[in-house]
Amino acid sequence: MLDEPARILIAAVLCWINFVAIDVFFKLPESGGVCGATAIAEEVEKGGGNLHGGFMLGNIVSSPDASAGTLLAACGVYCAGLPGGLFAALLVYIGNRICYDPGYAGTTGAITATFLVYGMTQVGFAASDFIAGMVIAIMTIQGISYVHSSRLIARLWDFRNRLLGGHP
Amino acid sequence: MIAIYVCAVIAVYAALRVIAERNTMRKLPFLNVISFAVTAIIALLLPNPITIIAAAAYFVGSTLESNAIASTWAGGIKKP
Repeated sequence: MLDEPARILIAAVLCWINFVAIDVFFKLPESGGVCGATAIAEEVEKGGGNLHGGFMLGNIVSSPDASAGTLLAACGVYCAGLPGGLFAALLVYIGNRICYDPGYAGTTGAITATFLVYGMTQVGFAASDFIAGMVIAIMTIQGISYVHSSRLIARLWDFRNRLLGGHP
Repeated sequence: MIAIYVCAVIAVYAALRVIAERNTMRKLPFLNVISFAVTAIIALLLPNPITIIAAAAYFVGSTLESNAIASTWAGGIKKP
């Protein structure tokens, strides 16, 4: 049985992998979903970052994506167990439609996170570890350095395109 | 309960970054971190099934506001 700080850090890593993998798989770094997301990407590029990484930062700001899905699913499991997490996935789906987002990254992220968080609660973790972990994970992408995080995302985006094909 | 303190510290940190950043569009990712942290604090403070609706409503609402600010700042919908 690990201490709470260690569990939060492990949860942060798992949440980070969950949301970045799903966002990159669902092509969030490809283009801006709304004109605001494109404008954020252009400002990130002007500041020394990467345009494709900027598109993903802009899309995360403009619509509930897999990161929001992971956070709300963790909140759902914390408040009401497995059904709570699946209900959170439904709310993320409605949120996507409200924000004019045609994609399914948020809903998919919420469903995978529900099973991830519920599974980890069976082996000694608490759902609250994943709530704090997700806040740490989003801070590393959005809140430390947009230059470095956008370049990191661009590298993962290139890797995805080489692995799964699709245009660069 | 270290989790809630972690969220509170990150919310305050992101708020300071919003104040320090001069470019309006580049403030928005930091604002997004505040939304995440506040959503997490709502859920951690009130462990009740109805909290999921409150947390999701807050989060989707703040995302929609950021979306509106970014789109308006970028020029908004062009009127014919």
